[in-house]
Amino acid sequence: MKQYVFKRILSTIPLLLIISFVCFVFINLIPSNPAEVALRVRQVPIITEEAIAEVEAELGLNRPFLVRYVSWLFDCLKGDFGISYVNPSRTVAGELARCLPATLQLAGASLVLVILLSIPIGFLCAVYKDGIFDKVMRALVFITTAMPPYWVGLLLMWFISIKLDLLPTSGGGSFAHLILPAFTVSLSYISTYIRLIRNNMLENMKQDYVLYANVRGLPQKVILIKHILKNSMHTCIVAIGMSIPQLISGTIVVENVFAWPGLGTLCISSIFNRDYPIIQAYVLLIGVLFVVFNLLFDILQTVSDPRLRKEGA
Amino acid sequence: MAKRFWKNKTAVGTVFFVVLIALLGILASWIAPNDPYAADILHKYESMSAQFPLGTDHLGRCILSRLLYGIRPTLGLALLTMLGTIGIGALMGLLAGYFRGWVEELIMRIVDVMLSFPSQVMVFAVVALLGISVQNVVLANVFIKWAWYARMIRAGVMQYREKNFIQFSRCIGTPEWFILLRHLLPSIAADLAVLASLDVGWAIINISTMSFLGLGVQAPTPEWGAMLNEAKNVLTSNPSQMIFPGLAIVVLVSVFNLMGDALRDVLDPKEVAK
Repeated sequence: MKQYVFKRILSTIPLLLIISFVCFVFINLIPSNPAEVALRVRQVPIITEEAIAEVEAELGLNRPFLVRYVSWLFDCLKGDFGISYVNPSRTVAGELARCLPATLQLAGASLVLVILLSIPIGFLCAVYKDGIFDKVMRALVFITTAMPPYWVGLLLMWFISIKLDLLPTSGGGSFAHLILPAFTVSLSYISTYIRLIRNNMLENMKQDYVLYANVRGLPQKVILIKHILKNSMHTCIVAIGMSIPQLISGTIVVENVFAWPGLGTLCISSIFNRDYPIIQAYVLLIGVLFVVFNLLFDILQTVSDPRLRKEGA
Repeated sequence: MAKRFWKNKTAVGTVFFVVLIALLGILASWIAPNDPYAADILHKYESMSAQFPLGTDHLGRCILSRLLYGIRPTLGLALLTMLGTIGIGALMGLLAGYFRGWVEELIMRIVDVMLSFPSQVMVFAVVALLGISVQNVVLANVFIKWAWYARMIRAGVMQYREKNFIQFSRCIGTPEWFILLRHLLPSIAADLAVLASLDVGWAIINISTMSFLGLGVQAPTPEWGAMLNEAKNVLTSNPSQMIFPGLAIVVLVSVFNLMGDALRDVLDPKEVAK
């Protein structure tokens, strides 16, 4: 068991290295010279050769490629992602740290909504399969998968905030600001997990242990909740856990609709401003989160599932 | 197969609908009641009328005409993206599944790395790197999505490569390219068709999202996502502006999703028998 966990952790190291290397190559693939870009976004009136050389030295761009990669990697490990092209007085790490809490708050609230809504709905859909509730929910799931999240956001903003005047339209800060964006982010995940839980439950209902529980004469309620739901939750929790980084990255669009002051808004404005170090750090951050969460939940699944544990050891 | 297709009402209906939409887009310049670019500030925010069937937008442009012209970039770019992803994905999947050895090792390791990046963030990164334009959005979508298809198609090929008819073909000395193109490709064509139609819905949402954020199709061009971007600015004063482009996207994407499911039933008789 320990051996498996150790092996699994070791296997992510090359992957993390590749991700960091891709992120580093990314910034070196920009068609224009980064030093020139930096000068232009700082609105230096006349860009001379000397000025470019000066900035190159300042940003450390005149060293060989691999040397720069290694030193960049060590800087990243220390939490230093360089300085913003647009505003040299700000560090990239500082910008990310400023926006990260808002995004985590949004992603966390969405995660809570996903769990609170999809599990009971999926459960009821499976229990009353082909009933009215199941049919209505299936129709809703079908429609929400076809709705672009930004349009859902606009509709909610219009109906809840403008028409009914219940919640603020955009911006961040209070709890009331959080509700609409969180619901918009979670909506597409909710429909995915309703389907997942429903199908898992239906699959489990056909298993022999359910038949045995019925033969033993256990009450239906106990069978449904203690046996079927418990067994179906297994895969769902792993799936939800692995989608946490997706939730964090999925906030990009919704944040922009609701002007939520998080990483997504920062990322889009950086794309418009060509502030490459910020985009690079953002991609690196999300990539690492992806790998780490996959690792965590993979290990968790192996540890908690006796059938997999045997295979892993 | 044709018989099963005509029997499946959903499949016939959705394919017919998609062809109809495509025709409307192609014939937009004859069908559209007004010029989609003709701004008329005196007639802005008009409600439905004989001259402007769906009303006018904030510059007095005919919404119906803009929707009809918008089919071209919306559907066209999505189809282009789908062809690109499926093309590269199928090629890589076929090569990896059929040749095995170092070819497979190399392709699948690249696929693993591609899949370890969150796709949405990669689209933004690629667009940021290449610059803001429509071509780059399509490129970015192809770039991040092909790995999914390569993996799925490889799994499909692995199923067939040990089948007797392919073993026989190899024994009698059929050239490799013939086995790949004439035996394996038709065998996985059903999977490809289903993947493709489900993928178009995904591509429509993704590309319109980029246009909505201002990173794809740019403002005066009538594209549904870009129209919603303009509608967003007048959300408080004229909320009805965002209804029609949004509905258009939802309907088109649902039809493609339905089509994917229906095609799966048509092409895979085993599934239905179950």
